[in-house]
Amino acid sequence: MAKTLIVAEIQNGTLREATLELVSIARGLGGDIVSLVIGSGIAGAAEELAKRGGGRVLKVDGPAFARYTLDAYTAAAKAAIKAESPSLVLISNTPSGWDFAPKLAAALDTAIVSDAFKIAADGAAYVITRRMFNGKFDAQLRATGAPVIVTVQPGATSAYTGSEAGSTAALDVAGDSRTQFVELRTAPAAGHDLTKADVIVSGGRGLQKPENFDSVLQPLVDALGAQMGASRPVVDAGWKPHEYQVGTSGQIVTPKLYIAVGISGAIQHLVGMKGSNYIIAINKDADAPIFEAADLGLVGDLFEIVPALTKAVQQAKG
Amino acid sequence: MKILVCLKQVPHKDARLEVRADGAWIKEDGIKFEINDYDTYALELALRLKDKDASTEVVVATIGPERTTQALRNALGMGADRAIQIADDGLSAADSLGIAKALAAAARSESFDLVVTGLMSDDANYALTGPMLAELLGMPSATAVVKAEFKNGAVEVERELEGGALEVVSAPLPCLLSVQTGMNDVRYPSLKGIMAAKKKPLDKKTLADLGLAAAAVAPRVKIEKLYTPPKGQGAELLKGSVDEQVSRVVGKIKELGLL
Repeated sequence: MAKTLIVAEIQNGTLREATLELVSIARGLGGDIVSLVIGSGIAGAAEELAKRGGGRVLKVDGPAFARYTLDAYTAAAKAAIKAESPSLVLISNTPSGWDFAPKLAAALDTAIVSDAFKIAADGAAYVITRRMFNGKFDAQLRATGAPVIVTVQPGATSAYTGSEAGSTAALDVAGDSRTQFVELRTAPAAGHDLTKADVIVSGGRGLQKPENFDSVLQPLVDALGAQMGASRPVVDAGWKPHEYQVGTSGQIVTPKLYIAVGISGAIQHLVGMKGSNYIIAINKDADAPIFEAADLGLVGDLFEIVPALTKAVQQAKG
Repeated sequence: MKILVCLKQVPHKDARLEVRADGAWIKEDGIKFEINDYDTYALELALRLKDKDASTEVVVATIGPERTTQALRNALGMGADRAIQIADDGLSAADSLGIAKALAAAARSESFDLVVTGLMSDDANYALTGPMLAELLGMPSATAVVKAEFKNGAVEVERELEGGALEVVSAPLPCLLSVQTGMNDVRYPSLKGIMAAKKKPLDKKTLADLGLAAAAVAPRVKIEKLYTPPKGQGAELLKGSVDEQVSRVVGKIKELGLL
């Protein structure tokens, strides 16, 4: 009998949307559903999850769990798995999920697939779909043994919206951890706030060298009265400061117009800009994932297209 | 301090990739390979500790076929002291846990104070091997590390969270750090370094050498097929001359009321 254990995630005292997405997946697979909520003073969140489809909700509640720590969260998940013997364990692929899920799989000597966006059951096995090669390919994987642990990409499916009868029960776990939470910091304040821009023109590795951001991209930025953004590889290479970065670890932007120049479209970048009202992509590779996210695509040499576009915009302005 | 850096050799960023006939991986013939981007930052972290304290030993390890010798020689050229190459057909279809078990078997016979890996590989994008290896070695770990400060037998790291937030975590040594790209400026191998690398030890090991039976690393996760993602709605790809395409774009920008 299939049984899914959902490891919930609490953020600022409430359930993360991603947890309710795991509920959708578990409900879609059918079978028994058990959830695990870890934190301090999480009785309310556990009640809520029970009502929102989480089934029987186990609570690991105590001051030691107030902050995510590797060992304590792994111990809590291990205890729930031992108590429930699930066939599938679902964890969101978030900074805490990707930190402890692999450790959990190694500790239990069991199968794990990370960052999945689709899960199907096939007998006792699970068939899991995820992206690979930074979005260039999708891969279908088969995972066997029990339990199979899957971390799921947030946003891969919509949150479960039904209300169900559920229950909660306490689970006792020791909260020791070798790693200790010290503090939260925010990255240096963005003097370059992209979140309020109407038009963003972002450059990627396709621009080939930092000077080209000034000579090729900046004139288009100026002509459109836009703000300049950049992809992660460009920031990692030191071509542009971090405050230019659009993506999961940079700024999440929603301009009226987003123009991606020489950006292939790794998932972490797409997450940062897919909420834009209109997206235009310029790239030499017609298979680049950015064209899936874009509304309008220009396949070709950006060093030819961008200056021509700049000139046309300047002319249109008169 | 004795440091292990785990590297993976992956297809070059600009390589044109095609799916293999059996659908289970890409065609590797005729494409260029390089050290996985994330792993170069892991190596740089280790080499900077060696720059500060010359008694530090940096060992690099990889799993893969003969071609990975090049990646190891590059790492030695950048300044690593010696290399371990685990090459065995029994690992060609290994899953992440199998890879972690083989690395753990190689690492266990030495006492490393620090193990550094890249957060993920640019091919499979799993982000699993590092924390698994830590668990198998009985070490704590931290992922998505963007800064690490070592003092008094411990390390304090900044972990990258979402939306620009950072979490500071402390861990006692020995521990494993799985690092994010961009955490430092990666050096290039010097000509002198490349010459010296040719004489540095490169130790080749099979599963048998590591005391592992093939069954111990048999995969429980298998890639059934790799394919180009189905095209959704996707972008309307403009046709015609550059001038024609550009005038369509300008028309669209006007329509959006932005010109």
